[in-house]
Formats: sequence, C-alpha cells, structure tokens
Amino acid sequence: MKISAQKQLHKLKILLVNHGILILFACLFLIPIWYTIISAFKLDRFIFTQPLSINAASFTVSNIVRAFRIMNYPRMFFNSMMILGISCLMLIIFGSMAAYGIAMARHKFFERMYGFFIILITLPFQLAMVPLISMLKNMNLINTFLGTSLVYGGFYMSFVIFLYTGFIRSIPSELEDAARVDGCGLLKMYIYIYFPLLKTITGVILILRGVAIWNDLLIPLITITRTANATLPLRLMSFVGSYYTSWGLVFGGTLLVSLPILCIFLLLQRFFVKGIMSGAIKQ
Amino acid sequence: MNSSSSRVRLLQCFAFCLPAAIIIFIFFFVPMVRSLQLSFTDWDGISLTSQWVGLDNFRTVISHRSFNQIVRNTIYLMVIYIPLLNVFALFIAIQIYEVKNLGNLYKTVFFLPNMLSMTVVGFIWKLIFSFHNGIINKFFRTVGLNALANDWLGDPSLVLPSMTMTIIWYALGYYVLIYLSGLYNIPVELYEATEVEGASSRQKFVNVTIPMLAPAITINIILSTIGLITLFDLPFVLTGGGPGYNSQTIALQIYYLGFVTLQPKLALALAVILGIFAILIIIVLMKILRKREENIL
Repeated sequence: MKISAQKQLHKLKILLVNHGILILFACLFLIPIWYTIISAFKLDRFIFTQPLSINAASFTVSNIVRAFRIMNYPRMFFNSMMILGISCLMLIIFGSMAAYGIAMARHKFFERMYGFFIILITLPFQLAMVPLISMLKNMNLINTFLGTSLVYGGFYMSFVIFLYTGFIRSIPSELEDAARVDGCGLLKMYIYIYFPLLKTITGVILILRGVAIWNDLLIPLITITRTANATLPLRLMSFVGSYYTSWGLVFGGTLLVSLPILCIFLLLQRFFVKGIMSGAIKQ
Repeated sequence: MNSSSSRVRLLQCFAFCLPAAIIIFIFFFVPMVRSLQLSFTDWDGISLTSQWVGLDNFRTVISHRSFNQIVRNTIYLMVIYIPLLNVFALFIAIQIYEVKNLGNLYKTVFFLPNMLSMTVVGFIWKLIFSFHNGIINKFFRTVGLNALANDWLGDPSLVLPSMTMTIIWYALGYYVLIYLSGLYNIPVELYEATEVEGASSRQKFVNVTIPMLAPAITINIILSTIGLITLFDLPFVLTGGGPGYNSQTIALQIYYLGFVTLQPKLALALAVILGIFAILIIIVLMKILRKREENIL
C-alpha cells in the first residue's frame, strides 16, 4: 500500500517537474520556428505589429511566391540535389570500398593508412581551404557540380572510411571464410555479400554527412561564383542581401530553403534520431 | 595459401582503397601541405612560384591590431559555449530519459533546429535580435521592461553572448541525443543496486550517472570544441564578425583574408595557427578526459 502510494507520488513528480521543464524549453525552442513559418505568410507590416499570431487580414502567399520566383528556386534546388547526389555517391561507394580493403587486408601498411585517415578527421577544413580553391581554379573545377562535390569528398571521406571500417570489422570473419571456400573473389564478395550488409551504416552516414552537405554554406561560397550554379543556402545568402528591408520576403525565402529538409526530417524522424544515436556510439 | 596469392590479395585490397585515397590526397592532404609550405612564402594566390620569406606572414598576422581580439573572441566562445552547451544538453537528456512517455516528441523538437541550414538559423536570429522590430525587444517593451531592450548584435559587450545563445539553440539537439544514447546504455541494475543501499537521487547521479556517462561526455566535449573552433556559417551570417571585430573569430578571419581582402599568404599563416591551436586543444582535452575516465573506472 505504502509502496504504491510512493510510486504514485513519483509519477506525479515526473508529470509535474520533468514534463513541465521539457514543455517550457520545447516551447522556447519552437518559438523561432513558429515565428519564421507564420511570418513567411504575413504582410510586412503585420510581421512587426503582431509577431506571434496570424489571421485572415494579415495572411498572404505573395512572399513565398515572389521569393520562389526571384531566387529561381527550381534551378537552385536542382543544383543542391546534384551536389548532394554526387558527393554522397562518391563518399558511399569509394568510402565503403576503402574500408573493405583496409578490413580485408589485415596488414601493417593498411593499418598505418587507416591511422593516417583518422588523424585527418580532426584537422580543420580551413587548413586546406586557400590552396584548394586555387587548385580547383587551375583544374577548371570552379562552378562545377563535380568540383564542389570533390571538395566534400576530400574533406569527409576519412570520417566515412572510419565509420565503415568499424562496421565491417564487427562482421564475423566466418562469413568471409565461408565465401572463400565457395571460391568467391574479393570483388564478388564486396558486391554480393558485404555491400548489402552495410545498409544501416550507410543510412547513418547519409544522415550525418548528407544533411551537412545539403545545408553547408562555406564550401559553395568559395567554389561557386555564378548565381546560376548556386546551392539553396548560397542563393539565400545573396537573396537576403538584396531584399533585406522586406522581412516578409526574407522569411519566405528562409522557409522555402528549409522546407525540403524539414519535410524529410519530419517524415523519417524516428530513423534520423536512431541514426544519430547509433552513430554517436561509434564515434 | 602461398605467398604470391597473398600478395595478389593485398594488391586487390590496395586497389579497393585507391579511389578514396586519391580523392583524400588531392583534395585535402596536398592542399593542406601546400598551406603549410606557402605560409612561409609571399604567395599571391595565383602564381605557381613564390619567394621564401620565413616567419614574415606570421609576424604580420600576429601584430595586426585585430589579432588579440580575434583570439580572445574564439577563446571566449569556447569557455562560455562548451560548458553551457554540455550542462544544458545533459540536463535536457536526463529529463527526457526520466519521463519515458513522449520521449520521441521531445527528441524531435530539440533536434529540429539542427536540421536547418546554419544560413537559415543565422537569418532567423538576426531578425529576432533586431533592435527595432525583433521579437525579443518587442517582448521586453510590451511587458514594460524597456531597459532590457538591447541592441543584441550591435552592442560589443552583448554580441558574443547573443551568438552563444544562437549556437546553443542550433546545436543542442545533437548533443542531447548523444547523451541520451549514453544514458540508455547504463544498465538499470546499477541504479537498482544503489537504491537498495538507500542512495538519494543526488548520490545516484554523482556515483552512477556521471561515471557511466564519461565516454559520452568525452565525445561531446571534443566534438563541440572542434565544431566551435572551425565554425563558420553561423557567425558569418549572423554578424559577419561585427560590430567592428567584436565577434570575429579565427575561422571567419581566415575566410576574409583569403577571399575578401585577398591576402592569401596571411590567410595561410592564420590557418596554420588555427590548425596548431586545434591540435593542441584536442590533445590537451584527450589527456584530461581520458585520465578522468580512468580515475572513475
């Protein structure tokens, strides 16, 4: 009897204190997002006078429509998708191949190479940035999808190899022995046995690095000089620069740029959270 | 298996590593070595030739009137942001761990800002902090606290705290998730055992939670430090380093020197300083945190 009363009390405490704290902070965290969404649908003067509410009198879609047109949104979306696609393909295919090579070799030379890649993970991008861009110019890779993707490839590859190698090493070696007995070569084994096993970790890598590439500003800023080749964040930057006085347009553009990733995140939310949490343990 | 077939096998393994190794080598490692090398020359950013000038670039960078300020800003952000972020993230993670119900909803909410581009986050908060029409000042003026309505990004003494707050809003969710995965890995039996011994919840926290979370704390402190030292997008959009040099960081200054004022040799010298700074910080943190982990276990 007493124990159950205590349990009830504990439950009440959790309800009031923990949920209370969480709800308070969750609301504080959501205000900027709520503010952005409703401001994107409001006439400029109402953004200032009624910041947190929206009604029929203040509602408009013209911000979104105009921002969409001025930014040349479909083109920017396509550019972003191409860079994301090429970088991720490169990271996943070459990264998993390298990790497979390192894990299968079990040799001192490969271990050294692996150690070298791990050291590279901790070094800042800024250390390579300036000569890298001058080199891209000489190779005519500025303003190209491939050029920007290769910069992501060079910078993120070590981390991807690190995640894949850890994962491949956790696969029992009996699998390899069995495949060998069946006369399966290294390449066949990679394509038919190992790569299909890497689905989960590939998902984690896509979440950890794909989102970073899609959202990045610095690398497009230095590898893309023509507006027609810009990615969404880079275009937003110049767009806001030209329309800074119209808050409605700024919020409209901001919402448009965030929309694709927000939709994907809310749809696959469970998967994202799980992916980050399992990726965290491996780091 | 004979030795020639094992050599073939090693060659095959090497072939698997080759594409990735070439990309890393050409697009990261070589430019990095070039940075080191060219930081001792008068390189103009374009020519293939350059003259050795010794430590001249480093002297110019260090003696520049903004250098002390930039280093101070970077260290200030580290000292304020890293403890604040980690304590707050751990606090939220523990609340989510304890409530059990609705856990997924809370995780989603706190993680949501992390999915946005830092460019977006920078613009949203720039408008929120705005002196005349920003919602923070609107709120203070509405409740009659006019004295608290400040120029959050324009006042030299407020700009770094405002920036810290923005970075925390953006980054928190990620660190909450890492702490949560650490918390879920603590065996429940450990808590039950201490409960039998009659431990208070504070004792449980000090004697079980914190020691068992040591690896997660190590990861988070190192990740947040590396992230902050190299952070570019958010400060660039939010303040651009202003007002004056009051929120300029080393990472921002490298970009300005390299691509805006076009003094690549100075950008390289500063990048090398940043690289050394980053490596030193990581080594020191690793030493301290590993030692702490060992002491606990």
